[in-house]
Amino acid sequence: MFSLFYGLWKYLFSKIEFHVLILGIDKAGKTTLLEKLKTMYSDSEGLPPDRIVPTVGLNIGRTEALKSKLVFWDLGGQVGLRTIWEKYYEEAHAVIYVVDAACQSRFEDTKSALEKVLRHEDLHGAPILIYANKQDLPGAVSAEDLARYLDLKELNERPYMFQAISAYDGLGIKDGINWLVDAMERSKRFELLRQRADVAVAV
Amino acid sequence: MGMLFSRLFASLFGDKEARILVLGLDNAGKTTILYRLQMGEVVSTVPTIGFNVETVQYNNIKFQVWDLGGQTSIRPYWRCYFPNTQAVIYVVDSSDTERLVTAKDEFHSILEEEELKGAVVLIYANKQDLPGALDDAAVTEALELHKIKSRQWAIFKTSAIKGEGLFEGLDWLSNTLKAGGR
Repeated sequence: MFSLFYGLWKYLFSKIEFHVLILGIDKAGKTTLLEKLKTMYSDSEGLPPDRIVPTVGLNIGRTEALKSKLVFWDLGGQVGLRTIWEKYYEEAHAVIYVVDAACQSRFEDTKSALEKVLRHEDLHGAPILIYANKQDLPGAVSAEDLARYLDLKELNERPYMFQAISAYDGLGIKDGINWLVDAMERSKRFELLRQRADVAVAV
Repeated sequence: MGMLFSRLFASLFGDKEARILVLGLDNAGKTTILYRLQMGEVVSTVPTIGFNVETVQYNNIKFQVWDLGGQTSIRPYWRCYFPNTQAVIYVVDSSDTERLVTAKDEFHSILEEEELKGAVVLIYANKQDLPGALDDAAVTEALELHKIKSRQWAIFKTSAIKGEGLFEGLDWLSNTLKAGGR
C-alpha cells in the first residue's frame, strides 16, 4: 500500500523533464549558447567560446531552470547535417532557433531553414524561441528588426517569442528561458508527449 | 603529432584509469588509426577465449581495439572490456557501402550495453581517400546516428592512411570529456 502511494506521490511531484532542441544554421552560435546555458543553469562550467569547434553531431546539456529539468539537444547546422534535425522533432517539447543577427547576408538561408522547421508536422504546436544572437557585435539587428526580416507566416499556430541575446556574454538569455519554460508548461504539446511517454511505460 | 596528442589528453582523467574502445568491422582501419596516433607500441594479444584485442597504453588511458561482427559465441567475453569506458571511437569504412547496414547494426547493439551507457561516441567516417566514399552526412544517415539521444556524439571524415581528420576528432573528444561528457 505504501509503495502505491509512494509511486503516486513520485509521479505527481517528480520534476518534469523537458527536451529542448537548439537549431539554426552553422555559425549561428548554438553551441556557444548551450555552453552558456550549462554555466548559468547547472553545476558544471560550460566550455569557453574559444574552445568551441563546429558541431558535427549532437551536444547535450542537462540543466535545471525554474524548478524544471531541461535537456538541451544542440545539433550541427551545416547544410548536410540539417537533414537529421527532423529525427529529433517527435520527442522535443520546444525549439530554440538561433540566428546570427549580425550576419544579414545569411538571413535568407536562416529563413528558409526555419520555415522548414515550422512546417514540419512532428513539431506541431511546439513553442519556439527565436534568439537574435551576437548582440555584442556591431551591426547586429534588434529582435523586432529580425522578426520583420524573417517575416514568418507559419508562426501564428504556436507560441513564439523573439529575443535579442548575446550567447557570448549572456545578455538576454534568461528572459527567453523564463518565457520558454512557462510556454512549455502551458502547451498542449506537453500533455501530448506525456501521454505518449505513459503509453511507452505501460507497454 | 605525438606531441599534440599528449597535450590534448594530458591529465584529462587525472590518475583515474580510463578506457577508450576503438571498434568497428574488420578492415575499417582501426589499427592504422592507432599507429597514426603514435601514442606508443601497439600490443596485439589473442586471449584464450579467442578474439584478438590490440591495446595501446597511453599514460593512464588504455585504448583497446577489436573487430565487431562475425562469431556470436565470443560476444559475451567482450563485456570484460567494458568497465570504466569513457568513450567509444567507432570506425567505419565509408567506401564499403555494402556492409554499412552491418556496421549500423553492430554499432547500435554495442551501445545498448549497460556498462557503456555513460560513454560518449566519436565516429570516424574513414577511408575518405577512396573513390566512392560517403561523406559525413551520408554516413550519419546510414548509421542512423539520430537514434542516439542520451549521449553526445560527433562524426569526422578521416583518412587514416593520410592522417587526416584524426586529431580534429580527438580534439572534440577531449573537450567533451573535459566538460563532463554528459
